[in-house]
Amino acid sequence: MATANVTNNEQYNYEVIRKFTIMTLVWGAIGMFVGLYIASELAFPVLNFDIPYITFGRLRPVHTGAVIFGFGGSALFATSYYVVQRTCQARLFSDGMANFTFWGWQTVIVCAALGDVLGYSQGREYAEMEWPIDILIEIVWVVYLTVFVGTLMRRKQPHIYVANWFYLAFILATALLHTFNNLAVPISLFSMKSYSLFSGAQDAMIQWWYGHNAVGFFLTAAFLGMMYYFVPKQAGRPVYSYRLSVLHFWAIIFLYMWAGAHHLHWTAIPDWTSTLAATFSIMLLLPSWGGMVNGIMTLSGAWDKLRTDPIMRFLIVALSFYGMSTFEGPMMSLKDVNALSHYTDWTIGHVHSGALGWVAMITFGSLYHLIPKLWNTKVFSLRLINIHFWLATIGILLYITAMWISGIMQGLMWRAFDDYGNLQYAFIESVAAAHNLYIMRAVGGLFFLSGMILMGYNMFMTIRSGNVEQTPN
Amino acid sequence: MSQENKNSVQTTGHVWDDDLQELTNPLPRWWIWGFYITFTFAVVYWLFYPAWPIGGSYTKGVPGFNSVTYTATTVDGKQVKKTTHWNMRSQFMVDMNELTALQKKYFDKVASMSYEDVSKDAELMQFVNSAGKTLFSDNCAPCHQAGGQGKIGFSPNLTDDNWMYGGTYDQIHTTIEGGRRGYMPPFSQVLNDEQITQLANYVLSLSSEPHDPVAAKAGDALFHGEGAACYYCHGPDGKGKIQLGSANLTDKIWLWANIPADKTQEDKVNDIKNVIYNGLAKGVMPNWNVRLKPEQIKLLTVYVHDSLGGGK
Repeated sequence: MATANVTNNEQYNYEVIRKFTIMTLVWGAIGMFVGLYIASELAFPVLNFDIPYITFGRLRPVHTGAVIFGFGGSALFATSYYVVQRTCQARLFSDGMANFTFWGWQTVIVCAALGDVLGYSQGREYAEMEWPIDILIEIVWVVYLTVFVGTLMRRKQPHIYVANWFYLAFILATALLHTFNNLAVPISLFSMKSYSLFSGAQDAMIQWWYGHNAVGFFLTAAFLGMMYYFVPKQAGRPVYSYRLSVLHFWAIIFLYMWAGAHHLHWTAIPDWTSTLAATFSIMLLLPSWGGMVNGIMTLSGAWDKLRTDPIMRFLIVALSFYGMSTFEGPMMSLKDVNALSHYTDWTIGHVHSGALGWVAMITFGSLYHLIPKLWNTKVFSLRLINIHFWLATIGILLYITAMWISGIMQGLMWRAFDDYGNLQYAFIESVAAAHNLYIMRAVGGLFFLSGMILMGYNMFMTIRSGNVEQTPN
Repeated sequence: MSQENKNSVQTTGHVWDDDLQELTNPLPRWWIWGFYITFTFAVVYWLFYPAWPIGGSYTKGVPGFNSVTYTATTVDGKQVKKTTHWNMRSQFMVDMNELTALQKKYFDKVASMSYEDVSKDAELMQFVNSAGKTLFSDNCAPCHQAGGQGKIGFSPNLTDDNWMYGGTYDQIHTTIEGGRRGYMPPFSQVLNDEQITQLANYVLSLSSEPHDPVAAKAGDALFHGEGAACYYCHGPDGKGKIQLGSANLTDKIWLWANIPADKTQEDKVNDIKNVIYNGLAKGVMPNWNVRLKPEQIKLLTVYVHDSLGGGK
């Protein structure tokens, strides 16, 4: 404990963290609102209003872009800058570069959303951005890597804290994924369109190598980094097992990269590729659970906090949803299960139990811990945090239950044959059958969005009561 | 794992940010065993399926363990049995073999019997309705709507007794097989606004809709005269010609102008004027012989005729 009490706010660059934190809340509200709107469009197509800019096809990438890269990305920038400074006892490598990542990243999100609405898309899921935006992302990311590694190199103690391993893995892997998935030749200097360097099934495999590892490194590893700082901090207890953290870290890093092709089961890819993807997904189960075990067991001896501390509740429930969706994922990657689940709402439900249950919940918990510290104040209302917790939890349960039912129903209806060997249902019948479940899903989304807005209000009031002394540059 | 002895577990000795530490707990037993079990599962899975690439080939799974036998049709139409290691294609063939075997005897009957005989065979008609419902819903309903009731301004109703191209088995078959391309020329260059108004009123009068009788009388003359020559396609009695697919204007059934939805006489006149002004080039139905098999088209013909109401 020799290092205790030497830290103070002047030592660190909190300014850029505050900005990213505020944008996390803003993008969260926007992204989830768009999500609610497109969920409503699916239930009531009249909401498309025959306006091309707001049709489902264009708003869907606005939703995913705003929540993954806007909300999730800003939260990761904020917490990684916070964690790396606090655990290295070093100020960010460069304030100017950190500031550039903020403005650069926000520009990326806004341009991507505008592009989607105007109909510019390279047709790659979660990578819809056309090449000029891709180049900006690349630049921002390299600067981010420089700031992060530069700060690590300034650390005051020899050992690097586990959270930083995960953040660094996330930054490196994202750079790799983004680069290779967007290798393309522009049609001309002044055209937004480009040709991919890959074609056919190879192109699809590159895309889902990217898509799956975006889940693995952006939405899992990075948020595990967040978990490894904020859970022990909030619990006031040591991380449960150092050995487990080492082992599950390297296992995740090694195994995740193989699993992407499970998004392409039963398509034109080779059978062996599909098999390997399925088995590496199964082998990912326990490494993924390693993070959950380490997080939840960190609380052992302090279980009463679950009753008294709503922030802790967010963090632990996040870990539970994480454990659940990392079990569900490997199951869905088996060929036979996938034959039922592929192309159905089950996939959507699975993604959201991870996205809402894990990513958003761990972010909420972490930000509730972080914001009062950044603004040197106390949380405005613990009661509102508690209400937010229940709104979010009920919202998620409604959402994923609706999608499980409609997904499995779709899968069963699409493969049902009658005694004559004829298809029993027309496709449209499966659409009609899902109608009520789509309404239920939208209601779940409404709950979740309400919680997000409540958080925005609570944090606005918290920040207003804060006092921020100018940090020297 | 009892909670009391937690405090006795050592930390690694490192401290970050005032109070972050790590305990030296061993790996949970169930966790490490679970990890081994998933590895074992993976190895077994590799025995069942193609798995590891080797040079230009790959491991195909243990022979006999995962063999699949199916019947395939060769290029020259011969049925051959094939046995191979598990693969997606063979899996698909097995399913298709099983289902086509169920369908075959019925489809063979449909193909060999006359429409009338199929129609009289109650058991066969059960098959026609079962297959027809899904074939129709997946292929035809996107335009003709669920149940074939059509949509004004878009696609004809198939459940009424009005058939633009004829409602006999043979005529319906021709329509499905080869598609249809409805066309009416625009009259904006040929007629002035007053004349088009007169024609619209005459058309409304044919179906006893509210209209201006004076204008309709003038429209009558235009309709049957050489200036507009509407009678050439729609016939002197306005009842249309199935050879051309021209609409029957006297039966109160509307396809392009949404007369039932128009509230005022003026709206109705304007709606019809719009059609005469601009003509029609959107009455296109694709040819299905490139997508459906002959026996499927024949079955759909019976379905549309008997079950949706072509016979009426």
